[in-house]
Amino acid sequence: MILMGDWLDINGWVKSGWSALFDALFTFLDSTFDTTLMDWHGGFSNAAYLFSMCAITFTLIMLTLPIVVLWTERKFIARLMDHRGATTTLRSLWVGERGVTAGEWWNMVPFGLGKPIGYVVKKLNKIAGNRSSIPAVDRANDRSWHGVPFLFPGFFQNLADGAKFLTKEHMVPAKADKWIFELAPFLIISSTVVILGFLPFGENIYAANPELSVLFAFAVFGVAPLGVFFAGWSSNNKYTLLGGIRSAAQLTAYEIPLLITVLAVCVLSGSLNLIEVINFQHQSGSWNIFLLPLGGMLFLITMVAEVERIPFDMPEAEAELVEGWWTEYGGLRWGLLFAAEYLRCYAACILMAHFFLGGFYAPFASTIGSIPYLGTAWLAIPGLIWVVLKAWFIFALFVWARAALPRIRTDQILEFGWRYLLPLSMVNLVMAFALRLYVYDGAEWSIFVPLIITVIGITLFVILSIDEDPEAKRPSHTVTMQPAGKHVPGED
Amino acid sequence: MAQMWITMGPQHPMTHGLWTLRVKVDGETVVDTDPELGFIHRGVEKICEARNYTQITPYCDRLCYASAMTWAQSYVYAAENLLDAEVPERAEYIRLIAVEMQRVASHLMWLGAYCPDVGNLTVFVYCIRDREMFLDLLQELGGSRMHYNYPRIGGVKRDLPMGFAARARAKIELFLQRMKEYEMFLDESTIFLVRTQGVGYCTAEDMVNAGVTGPNLRAGGVNYDVRWAHPYSVYDQVDWTASVEKPTSVKGADCYDRYRVRMTEMIESCRMILDALDKIPGGAETHYEKEDPMIYKKAPIRAPEGTTGFHHFEDSRGESMFYLVGGGGKKGRGEYPYRISIRSPMFITIPFVAKTMIGYKVADIPAIMGSFDPCIGETDR
Repeated sequence: MILMGDWLDINGWVKSGWSALFDALFTFLDSTFDTTLMDWHGGFSNAAYLFSMCAITFTLIMLTLPIVVLWTERKFIARLMDHRGATTTLRSLWVGERGVTAGEWWNMVPFGLGKPIGYVVKKLNKIAGNRSSIPAVDRANDRSWHGVPFLFPGFFQNLADGAKFLTKEHMVPAKADKWIFELAPFLIISSTVVILGFLPFGENIYAANPELSVLFAFAVFGVAPLGVFFAGWSSNNKYTLLGGIRSAAQLTAYEIPLLITVLAVCVLSGSLNLIEVINFQHQSGSWNIFLLPLGGMLFLITMVAEVERIPFDMPEAEAELVEGWWTEYGGLRWGLLFAAEYLRCYAACILMAHFFLGGFYAPFASTIGSIPYLGTAWLAIPGLIWVVLKAWFIFALFVWARAALPRIRTDQILEFGWRYLLPLSMVNLVMAFALRLYVYDGAEWSIFVPLIITVIGITLFVILSIDEDPEAKRPSHTVTMQPAGKHVPGED
Repeated sequence: MAQMWITMGPQHPMTHGLWTLRVKVDGETVVDTDPELGFIHRGVEKICEARNYTQITPYCDRLCYASAMTWAQSYVYAAENLLDAEVPERAEYIRLIAVEMQRVASHLMWLGAYCPDVGNLTVFVYCIRDREMFLDLLQELGGSRMHYNYPRIGGVKRDLPMGFAARARAKIELFLQRMKEYEMFLDESTIFLVRTQGVGYCTAEDMVNAGVTGPNLRAGGVNYDVRWAHPYSVYDQVDWTASVEKPTSVKGADCYDRYRVRMTEMIESCRMILDALDKIPGGAETHYEKEDPMIYKKAPIRAPEGTTGFHHFEDSRGESMFYLVGGGGKKGRGEYPYRISIRSPMFITIPFVAKTMIGYKVADIPAIMGSFDPCIGETDR
């Protein structure tokens, strides 16, 4: 298959732009002042190029992240928890609370062009809406809908929250280990930002692309739990201490299966470079999730544990540990830690998209791409869009898990990690070896390979998730006693 | 790791109120516990010594903020015992309907508070949503959503409003459908099962010896429901069965047993309401005016010195008892009680639970404590 180039060549544009700029500048300076600045041209333009790419990547992430946090973490979960459950959830993302908020934005579209939309929405609400006939509790201020009504509803609430954090007092608890206490957030936040430098947002949008970028990304991912442990120890608080130690104990249980799963992906793709892993999926014609469905599940589970979300958020279990290891942080440090947590979460989603969902390539690039006109348009969608969409989809899975599952206990995740995840990840690794050595012919997967593996995987999943006998799950059941009226007191 | 004391409370998500649990932990394991109660002691018993019998009812409403109707009625039955008041049968039916609605609302509040304890917020939102339906119905009766002041000595304040029965039937039908949703959400969730099964064991003997009553005791296999063992109102005339869980382990009842008992009890309460709406004398769709002899019979307002009144009542959390001694007030005229004593089920249960947790993990503390449904309002009185 021909590797289509992405027209959104930001790396190339930035590189040639800086090169031309320095070229012109140094030519002018050299001719005017008789210097030899042109010898340093490569160094200057490369440095400027690297700095620019860091800034651009970071900006991209920061622009796409708040939408995730707001729409998925706030609105999606609110809908999952609301009256009608998951089915009306997506509709309400743009319709709003009780069907009429978000300012009835269709009325603001010029020339009344939005009226049909309003008609349809109102009809939908009448049929399947969640408008209460007696609204006992009314929301005086739909504060998650601040912002430009129909562009980014609620988008600016994040800015308001950030401004609130900025104005709060910075407090260090008495007898805390001040240096470590101050160092820990920086360790967590800086290591999180470093990961983002190694995540490609497109074939030609990345800050750095070293040969072993997978190894590097996961090495940096493993730094933050150390910061968590520092924060827990230095706060001079028993809750934070327990949270920090839980984090350290949990780390060993999930990090090893996680790395073995990543190793399986790298074995299958034959590279430790993130972009080559993605290119392999594109060239061989199948996403890794269809070849290693078990690995995809393991990666998702261990990544949820890595970013400490429900059901694996014991280090910050609010029911017993108040707020776990970050109980003592307040103000801007709390805000930054919170942002870092979502950044880690987002990075985990992007990694999942890259490893298992084909990264920045369009889905069905070969089939849809071969349709005459539609295919050209399909392939012209920049990779950036696909990365972001896939990452949002996986983030929605994270949020769904949070809405649906309780939190498990520390000893249970240790047992789960060592007894189930580790052996399963070894099985997954063996599957990857077998596929690479005996099935892969060096060019493309036969269409039957991913098909058969996926069908077997789904069948196994369905079989294992069906309860063989719902009655047998719990032998105890409620005993029915004789009716009250026929009872004579004192008889039994 | 060295052992250390952790103070959970008075402001802690686990406590469900204002009290302190001091826990001695060895790593993650609970070694010792020490509960401290009394943060919101209001002296209700003493206040009541300077109030006449009608004025006491709203104070008893405020004993428990999750289950006000049951406490007010618990008092009213004791006062009727003291004052030798008679209650029309229709009023008894209305009281039964109100109490069982309050019981469902209280158990929903419990379920809603328990699921965040084990880490899930969704069920909380679902439960609060469904609790609204029952609070709306209670509001139609008492005019208020939290503290109703609905029962009167000798009857009830108002009759069922017009259309109440139809609305109640519709809402209960909807709620019974949603109970399946809850059971799907929780009983099918492996994580919920591993969090609740096998933790918080306590045997029936220990619970009986400590004086634990109500759903917590019935989870241990002891069929002691006051409504069933000593039927007081019209509980022997409506169709219902006491829900008792038979524990599988010799170690007794675990958190899951207590969860199951409350779930089945909600269904039984709904059955009771539906049946009472059918059997109510005078018909559920007729509305009698205030102080009609069908719903209210005037009771004496004074009790002479030396008379006592007592009633034990199946509250949402266990067996509540009121003991009244008449003959208080100015110059011994008897318009005030001389002494009033309240037996709160949770005051007895909480110290017992604190000892139950020993040997479990720190993460089990909210799971065990929450499964006993603590309410600090009635505990501290």
